[in-house]
Amino acid sequence: MHLPDDNTDATERDGSGKTMHLSPMAGGADAVPGAQMPQPDFGLTLKPAAASTLALAVAACGGGGSGSSTGGGAPPVSTVRRPQTDAEAARFLLQASLSASTGAITQLRSEGYEPWLDRQMAAANSQAARGFFADRGFDRVDANRFYNSAIIGDYMIWSQLLSGDNPVRKRIAFALSEFFVASLSGINVTWRGPAIGEYWDTLNRHAFGNYRELLQDITLNPAMGVFLNTRGNRAADPRTGRVPDENYAREVMQLFTIGLFELNPDGTNRLANGNPVETYASEDVTGLARVFTGYDFDQAGLTFTPEVGGTRQIPDAAYIRRPMTADPARWVPARTTGFHSAEAKTFLGLTIPAGTGAAESLQRALDHLFNHSNVGPFFARQMIQRLVTSNPSPAYVGRVAAVFANNGQGRRGDLAAVFKAILLDSEALDPANAANPNFGKLREPVLRFVQLARTFGARSTSGNWQVGDLSDAAAALGQSPLRSPSVFNFFRPGYFPANTEIANRSLLAPEFQLVNETSVAGYVNFLERAITGGRAPVADIALDFSAEIAIAQDSIALLDRLDLLLTARQLSTSARDTIRAAMEDVVLTASSTNADRLRRVQIGVTLILASTDYLVQK
Amino acid sequence: MFIGNSIEIERRAFLRRTSQLAMMGGAASYALDLAGLAEAAAFSNAGGYKALVCVFLYGGNDHGNTLIPFDAANYARYAAIRGTAGSEDASGIALARSALANTALTTPSGQRLTDDITYALAPTMPRLKTLFDSGAMAPLLNVGPLIAPLTRAQYDAGSVPRPAKLFSHNDQQSTWQSSQPEGSRTGWGGRMGDLALTSNTNAMFTAINATGNAVFLSGQTAVPYQVSPAGATLYNPLQNGRLFNSAAASQALGTLLRSGSGNVMAADYARFNDRSIQYGAFVNDALRGATLSTNFGTGNRLADQLRVVAQLIGARARLGVTRQVFLVSLGGFDNHDGLIGTHDGLLGQVDSAIDAFYRATVELGVADNVTTFTASDFGRTLSSNGDGSDHGWGAHHFIVGGGVRGGRFYGRAPQVSLTSPDQVGQGRLLPTTSVDELSSTLGLWFGVAPSELPSVAPNIGRFASADIGFMRPLQTAATASR
Repeated sequence: MHLPDDNTDATERDGSGKTMHLSPMAGGADAVPGAQMPQPDFGLTLKPAAASTLALAVAACGGGGSGSSTGGGAPPVSTVRRPQTDAEAARFLLQASLSASTGAITQLRSEGYEPWLDRQMAAANSQAARGFFADRGFDRVDANRFYNSAIIGDYMIWSQLLSGDNPVRKRIAFALSEFFVASLSGINVTWRGPAIGEYWDTLNRHAFGNYRELLQDITLNPAMGVFLNTRGNRAADPRTGRVPDENYAREVMQLFTIGLFELNPDGTNRLANGNPVETYASEDVTGLARVFTGYDFDQAGLTFTPEVGGTRQIPDAAYIRRPMTADPARWVPARTTGFHSAEAKTFLGLTIPAGTGAAESLQRALDHLFNHSNVGPFFARQMIQRLVTSNPSPAYVGRVAAVFANNGQGRRGDLAAVFKAILLDSEALDPANAANPNFGKLREPVLRFVQLARTFGARSTSGNWQVGDLSDAAAALGQSPLRSPSVFNFFRPGYFPANTEIANRSLLAPEFQLVNETSVAGYVNFLERAITGGRAPVADIALDFSAEIAIAQDSIALLDRLDLLLTARQLSTSARDTIRAAMEDVVLTASSTNADRLRRVQIGVTLILASTDYLVQK
Repeated sequence: MFIGNSIEIERRAFLRRTSQLAMMGGAASYALDLAGLAEAAAFSNAGGYKALVCVFLYGGNDHGNTLIPFDAANYARYAAIRGTAGSEDASGIALARSALANTALTTPSGQRLTDDITYALAPTMPRLKTLFDSGAMAPLLNVGPLIAPLTRAQYDAGSVPRPAKLFSHNDQQSTWQSSQPEGSRTGWGGRMGDLALTSNTNAMFTAINATGNAVFLSGQTAVPYQVSPAGATLYNPLQNGRLFNSAAASQALGTLLRSGSGNVMAADYARFNDRSIQYGAFVNDALRGATLSTNFGTGNRLADQLRVVAQLIGARARLGVTRQVFLVSLGGFDNHDGLIGTHDGLLGQVDSAIDAFYRATVELGVADNVTTFTASDFGRTLSSNGDGSDHGWGAHHFIVGGGVRGGRFYGRAPQVSLTSPDQVGQGRLLPTTSVDELSSTLGLWFGVAPSELPSVAPNIGRFASADIGFMRPLQTAATASR
């Protein structure tokens, strides 16, 4: 289908690299390659009557991200924005993915940003938690009592992050796990490893799907049900005075959808008489809590196996992958009556009539939250913080929020479009921003370790990726994936360290919530052990420095390679000089041993990853 | 209606003082003797060493099952509201009365509480009862953040300002610690630290955090120094002088860690490295000199933190400090479910940790000089959601120390009710004592001059008294213990 002229020359006009522009709706866009399967509408398609709002809709450049080859009208190859240097390419890879490699740099420079990203998003998810457990018998009932084990959950997530395909999908899923937080540390349930595994798989399944469906699935996910108490939540009982548990109702509003204050489309607080306006009150929490009543595990038809050496009946791990159900016939033991509230459920101006069933109530409630105008800016801002910079301009937030509201084809909540909008925005891509002292974000400890592992071909000696909980800041990494200490994630979006220049400039720096005198030292010690290899707490992980060893004798070539892959050439001149001099303290000649060559490499890698030029991602 | 604007804590004398202090975050020398700059009007360090220790219970401690109505009439009200635990329809979170006999607290003659209520501590807190009986522990009833005294009618009408974002974890943690919701730059512990800086030879150890980052200890100038239960964490490659067997690489590491330019976050990160490198070995050397025989047990994270605090107090002469504020914490109190079982265990850890810490201060001869107090995001509902309770507001907390006028109750006991005017629905308590009154009482004991109290407790001017009275009157400097 031929696209109108102002689509095809959009990238030429967009010297700034903006992929979004104001344009009238092109009327029937190309299908996105790898588009999601047909789903219930959830009221996502905007009604045609809202023409005036559509006039402000932003259309993705090239139409729905088709970018490459579907039909006529794809933009000419020469107008697709490409990285101008290897450093720019590496910089993008470190924003969008988990590591950079020379191969990926070459491909990205050849294809261009958007086509490369489209291809990553279209790639089938090749690795799932479910398979990890099944392949190793971690989901069997036996004397190992894996059903009580949390550490297999750690092994699973480390295997996902440290290895395997779909690094862009996983990077996004990790960011989502820090917004829709459920924690392995907070789910005391049978088969907690597979439980957090299913939660992770859910985030991956929907990473490039739709926010509304993701919200639905995490609400009914058993791990989340245990974490925030939807599981087993019951309608009020006037006889005993018991009232519904409010935990999920409060946190789904405060953290997963609308936040605490009314927002403008650019993420700034909407003010009334100079004051921020609260989005919800206690009564809203109480009313919404009734929606999340009556749910429990769906264990119908599953095998129960007696535990070895005990009498407890262990359900098949499949139960922890099924959405929770309000149908009491599917519980074990089954019941004839459930516990869903029959009262009217009123919150945020919506009243779900008394007697409305669980599924219908849930649909209406989640639709109501999803359609609140706060969701786009609230979500967009935090995802920008996870991927690009802690202090995005309101305009940047506004551009992404607009894509959340309408992906260009009338759909709200299109996550693929949102993440493309974040990663392809000029504020992310413009290399000049790296020189802005206020730009960037502190890399999270987990992502530092993951980047180290993936850059140097990490292998698991045991095959089970036996890395456990690395939360200890003194003795380990100070952060562990899917192990947030609470539903508030490892750090708050609004955190800044007091008595710093960050604070003086009124900047935010969420990841600094993990930074203190203990963790900064513990991190360096962790680095040394990880790069040495075979040392706890990551003794099972073997790194491969052969490519670096091969060029180690040329210290400049080695430094250039490490600088490019690890920091996207953001090492300062003085840091480079310091690191190079240290590396050359290991004198190498043609007859040097591999052990010495390795030593030079290890010194270079450690010094780079400990340097502040690396630690702050710009 | 609430005050949404941030409260500027500006006092001209205070600002003048801070401009005279050397930069604390940078390369301060250990022998920074600032005693000459102290202004007698703002702060008094008479009375020897003093320390405040905040035990923050993250998640919102269920006060209803921490200090439980024990007399027959009030217990009956409590049990009717909370339901019997383990009942067939799974509605109960009330503790059995028979389990409370060992931890029942005797209200002193001369004190009558609301509705003649008497209290028992949770069954897993027998040590706090012993401390109460010996006069070293005082319960503070129904304390919570307030901007001004507030009645139920005023709350309903919105006619008097109340704290923003009530019932939100992160905001109430911040409000308890700093009088403002999330985004606050200073906490009242840090603001006391600001006043105490000039009392300390080594001002950098004025505020010490033995747990995760929190605003409580951040001052305008005071920067909290963070330690782990094992003390300071040192950089192995710097301690060993070698990185991958290269001394040059070790030195390069030291240089790189402390360098950060061209980017604000990089520069600030470098300052954390710098402080950690500068002070770590010094702190551990000081700790090595402090022997402590009090047993803190194992497997109790709060006890682990309080142990290192006790050791630091033992090392105070070597550290060069006279006035300190500490923060420790325990998490897991957000008991929306599993209240029975989980909560008792947590309270047991609080009980044994605080008791061990008190005994350590006795061993160190500073029992009268160290005051410990609990705090939490909020209390919880009195009503049950089946197996737990939901977010509340006012709560009961404990103050422990040799300087405490213990063995009696402070604050006003709330009615045991879902309909009384001292609660705002489901038994969430409307506080009758404010956090500002708590912090000002502690501040006065710590040495904050009455005129300086608003810089610590910004709302104190709206309350009847700046001194709740749970600290014994200050002794003269001559009789105070070192």
